[in-house]
Amino acid sequence: MEHKIKQIISKLDSPDISFADVRITFTDYESIFFMNGNLRGYTSSKVSPAIGIRVLIDGCFGFAGSKDLSDASISRLIARAKSNAIHGAKFQKEKLTFPALPATIGEYIHKPEIDPFLMPQEEKLEYFKKLAELIKPQGKIVNSHVAAEFERQEKFYANSEGSYSHTVVYNTLPLMGVVAADAGGIQSRTWPGHMSAGRAGFELFHQQQFMENTQRIIKEATDLLTAPTISEEKADIIIGAGHLALQLHESVGHATEADRIFGQEISFAGKTFVKPSMLGKFKYGSDILNIYSDSTDPKGMGYHPLDDEGVPGKRVDIIKNGILVNQQTSRHIAHKLGLEPSSNMRASFADDIPLVRMSNFCIAPGKGSLQDLIADTEHGYLLDFTKTWSIDDNRNNFQFTTEIGYKIKDGKITGIVKEPTYFGITPEFWNACDAICGEEEWGYQSTFNCGKGEPGQVMRLSHGVAPARFKNINVRVKI
Amino acid sequence: MNEQLKYLNDALKKESGIKYQLQLHKWQTDFFRFYQSQTNYNISKDLIALSAELYKGKKPYSFSIDSPDQAKIDSALKTALEMIDHMPEDPDFVDLEDDLTLAEPKDIPNNINEISLDKKTAILSRLAKIAGEHDFELFGTFICNFESDHLINSNHLDKISMQSPIYLEVKAVHRKTQVTVLETFGGEDFGYFDEEQFSRNLLAKIKFAQNSIVDVEPGEYEVILAPRCVAEFAQYLAYGMSAFAIDRRSSFFEGKLDSKVFPEIFSLTDDPNDPELIHCDYGDGGHIYRPLKLIDKGYFRAFMCNNYFHHKLGLPKNGNQGNCLSIAPGSSTLEKMISKVKKGLYISSLHYMNFINPKETSLTGLTRDGTFLIEDGKITKVVNNLRFTEKIARIFENVVELEDTAKSIPFSGNYADFSVRTTKAPHARIARFNISSSTRTI
Repeated sequence: MEHKIKQIISKLDSPDISFADVRITFTDYESIFFMNGNLRGYTSSKVSPAIGIRVLIDGCFGFAGSKDLSDASISRLIARAKSNAIHGAKFQKEKLTFPALPATIGEYIHKPEIDPFLMPQEEKLEYFKKLAELIKPQGKIVNSHVAAEFERQEKFYANSEGSYSHTVVYNTLPLMGVVAADAGGIQSRTWPGHMSAGRAGFELFHQQQFMENTQRIIKEATDLLTAPTISEEKADIIIGAGHLALQLHESVGHATEADRIFGQEISFAGKTFVKPSMLGKFKYGSDILNIYSDSTDPKGMGYHPLDDEGVPGKRVDIIKNGILVNQQTSRHIAHKLGLEPSSNMRASFADDIPLVRMSNFCIAPGKGSLQDLIADTEHGYLLDFTKTWSIDDNRNNFQFTTEIGYKIKDGKITGIVKEPTYFGITPEFWNACDAICGEEEWGYQSTFNCGKGEPGQVMRLSHGVAPARFKNINVRVKI
Repeated sequence: MNEQLKYLNDALKKESGIKYQLQLHKWQTDFFRFYQSQTNYNISKDLIALSAELYKGKKPYSFSIDSPDQAKIDSALKTALEMIDHMPEDPDFVDLEDDLTLAEPKDIPNNINEISLDKKTAILSRLAKIAGEHDFELFGTFICNFESDHLINSNHLDKISMQSPIYLEVKAVHRKTQVTVLETFGGEDFGYFDEEQFSRNLLAKIKFAQNSIVDVEPGEYEVILAPRCVAEFAQYLAYGMSAFAIDRRSSFFEGKLDSKVFPEIFSLTDDPNDPELIHCDYGDGGHIYRPLKLIDKGYFRAFMCNNYFHHKLGLPKNGNQGNCLSIAPGSSTLEKMISKVKKGLYISSLHYMNFINPKETSLTGLTRDGTFLIEDGKITKVVNNLRFTEKIARIFENVVELEDTAKSIPFSGNYADFSVRTTKAPHARIARFNISSSTRTI
């Protein structure tokens, strides 16, 4: 395939093309879904191919992608990408440009502990069957599910600057959940929450202790049916790592994607309140807040030796001691902003255009355990396990509901609350952060499903986080 | 029949005791993205995928193949036949779809060929000139898709359907204030696109967007919802009208069949035959897609139910999936509706909605692309984008007036394979609508 992709690049070597890149991916995918103890769906797709060709002509990108890798298809795609650039350039005021980068070669072959595509199928199905049986409807539980998605993606990248990379990665998404109902309504609990994915194989199910947590979610969903709601207007909240990953994702990660500043994602994903003039000055969060984008850590799903426009992986500070210092950029936008590109251009599959995307987007750890933090909290709530999320067009006003809240009084958990909902304004909220747990609580929380772009793409990415506390947050919402 | 589809069908016919459904999906897009009144990308993409859903007794197994050829089919089928005996059973499976009714043949032109990139940029250049004269830049997408599906199953079902959706979304953004307004066109027949009317609508909104910007306090407001908002709330409401929601015990409409749930002026139909909507021939599994009255003069009349849930839940089956929702117009005009509002809001579009509790229809979301203050029957100011926390059921319970025309509104499905669907809705005046906070931004 290395020969093939370099051959395509050589066909794009012409004076009118100022930059070109080609990506080829092969993806294995398997999904398993049990509902109420029974298998409802098993789907498999093997070695699904995709190719994308991008050319820059007359200051305008043209792109063509397909699942067909035949020679005839490749010739057609080259012609179409060129035509798209040439015709697109007719409706352009500003020619797109960026500085050249030195050629870089990269390779990464990831090997999971348990390859989900090679392990005995009977063993895999037996595990899920047992798990589904443990949480099937019982007592007030009226619905349950166990879901797994496994993915293996091999990717080849080459560009007209001589850069080339070859990677193989495995990603896994595990989830289980139950719904409890009585005459008063329904409540749900999932495990381990909605940021449950990881750069791993089947071993992720064992690491996340699914079997050990079945009774916990059944009990908590049932107890939530009769639990009170939060009665205070404002409270101190500790946010668990799983949900904090989403808070970070929505209100800092997307907000610092620089393509939003120029309106490139305005019609679907939206804009951002962040402006170029804020760099180096804007107090985004409290002094203890340090946030970085890191595509150099292979433990996260955002790792890559090269991004999808040939920028070597790198770690970039985004917020340093609470101050906004950088953004996630493409080569073009970095050039416009006078920055170095941050290695954040990624596409879900080869036939998708690369977009500014989070890679491993992390909060640096602070000090102490979660137990220490709870013990240090006089009155408040520990919130975790995302239920509902929503944030505005500019990433400034958010509102989240978690599945459960644990009431804290005098440093101890004293009960639970249902549908805890909090809302706030992004910089005010991050400036209210007064404690972040330490290394011992820090880990990657990852998702398969970050939606962005048109045509839509869902990206696999990770957040390194530890639980953190936020003071005096709005927790009362009339529903 | 496509060669690869026929090859797999022939191979499966030889396997005794296997029930199967096969689908050959062909999809193309020409997807033009623009920003700051210039090209961002023109993206051409295509795919051919062959998917198979097999049952041996009650044991399921599915696979899909992109760019299928005989070698890939042989390999996938060999694995499937080896695996299926080891699969656990789905006790709720009874049989595959047996509705063999064919839709009326339709002549579906490929709009990718009909509307060239040069034609798109020419239209956008003219719109950009109009917007530019008022200090606004254009952002958005101009999309044409063409897709065909050939569905066959072991019950002799053999159906082909085609669609060629068009989606033009134009956002005009003020160069300094960032105040944004939106105008869209969606459907399958570009003959319905009236560029002059589109320009007039956009310009009228641009003029409102030049008013001063204010914030409003949280609380209950009388609001005029634009057709796009009414359409999107109806889509979320329709979740509860699905058999899937009943099965999940999360339907607002559970136990409410033939009950009065909304005022008499509110009727909702899933209508695949409306020429202004993107049509649907068949539903999930291949059942014929016919008009279905969901809410008739305020009464809830039917669940949308496919073959699987028909057998599991005993509900009548239909092909409906809420892809062609249409809210019946009322008898008022937009001007009259606005004139009746002493102090309230005009909401153009919604953003990032998510259910808090689907059974209660409670959700949160935001306004975008033009929120305006109405004072003494007139639009007077631009309002920052606002957050609402509401129950959709309560919103429609509070409908007091509907506009006398309904507009086809396009929506894109962005979380999987890219698709476009349309919903038809009029403006609606809502007596009470709960604004829970301000975003403090435009």
